[in-house]
Amino acid sequence: MSESSGSPSSGSGSSGSGSSGSGSSGSGSSGSGHGPRPTSSGPGRVLIAVYAIFALSATARAGVQIATNFSEAPLAYLLSAFAGVVYILATIGLAGTGPGRRRLAWVAVGIELVGVLAVGTLTALDTADFPDDTVWSLYGRGYGFVPLVLPLIGLWWLRRTRGR
Amino acid sequence: MIGALVIVVYVATGLLALYGLVRTVQGRHPGRDMRIAVGVVEALLVVQAAIAAFRVLGGGVTLPEQGTFLIYLVVSVCVLPIGLQFAVTEPTTRWGGAVVSVAAIGTGVAVWRLAELWAAHV
Repeated sequence: MSESSGSPSSGSGSSGSGSSGSGSSGSGSSGSGHGPRPTSSGPGRVLIAVYAIFALSATARAGVQIATNFSEAPLAYLLSAFAGVVYILATIGLAGTGPGRRRLAWVAVGIELVGVLAVGTLTALDTADFPDDTVWSLYGRGYGFVPLVLPLIGLWWLRRTRGR
Repeated sequence: MIGALVIVVYVATGLLALYGLVRTVQGRHPGRDMRIAVGVVEALLVVQAAIAAFRVLGGGVTLPEQGTFLIYLVVSVCVLPIGLQFAVTEPTTRWGGAVVSVAAIGTGVAVWRLAELWAAHV
């Protein structure tokens, strides 16, 4: 809500490209909404950027691991790939508009939260099952615990932009 | 890779991340200045990637995890332009700067991983 209140008045010449600064059409959907707000608006874009980077890095890493030494730790590498796919779906869901994409985002972020909690707990209790690290190992400690915080923020943001 | 250049890249991505956050706190949409800042950092990354790719692919250096290294190299160059594009496509929000920040931090982490993988061969 904070960014929508500031945006119409910020046309003090700083944003050069937008010549017609009448503010007639622009951010019309932001005022105390009835319908859902796009998840890709405002701070949601920052969230999507983080998701996209995780999608990229998790998938790329899993791809290399599976291609080069899959037999070493098949479970861990498959799990990494699964996490990568979940991040990709969450990114697509959050970046899109409409109820279908929103549902996709809910499901993907939900799976992400369950995944990081389950894998985190399993690896914390017994490391023998996971010979190699995944994104979700030890609640994402190798990634600064971002994988643990990210789904919480994601769910909060989905709820927040839901409307009504 | 060149040690000194890696440090310059760390500093550059760090400053860019900071600058993006400042712009968001100020409530200003990233404009021409942000494009220039990203362009400068991107130029450094391209130089670094070219040197590293030349040394790995053109013989000389053999890395234990060559595939991973090359992927990170591509990532280090691609993330900032995409991030900038994503940041400026929504013109009415202050959050573009923070998007650039995220891209800069992601790039910095990629470079850190690159340096780690590179160090494994010496």
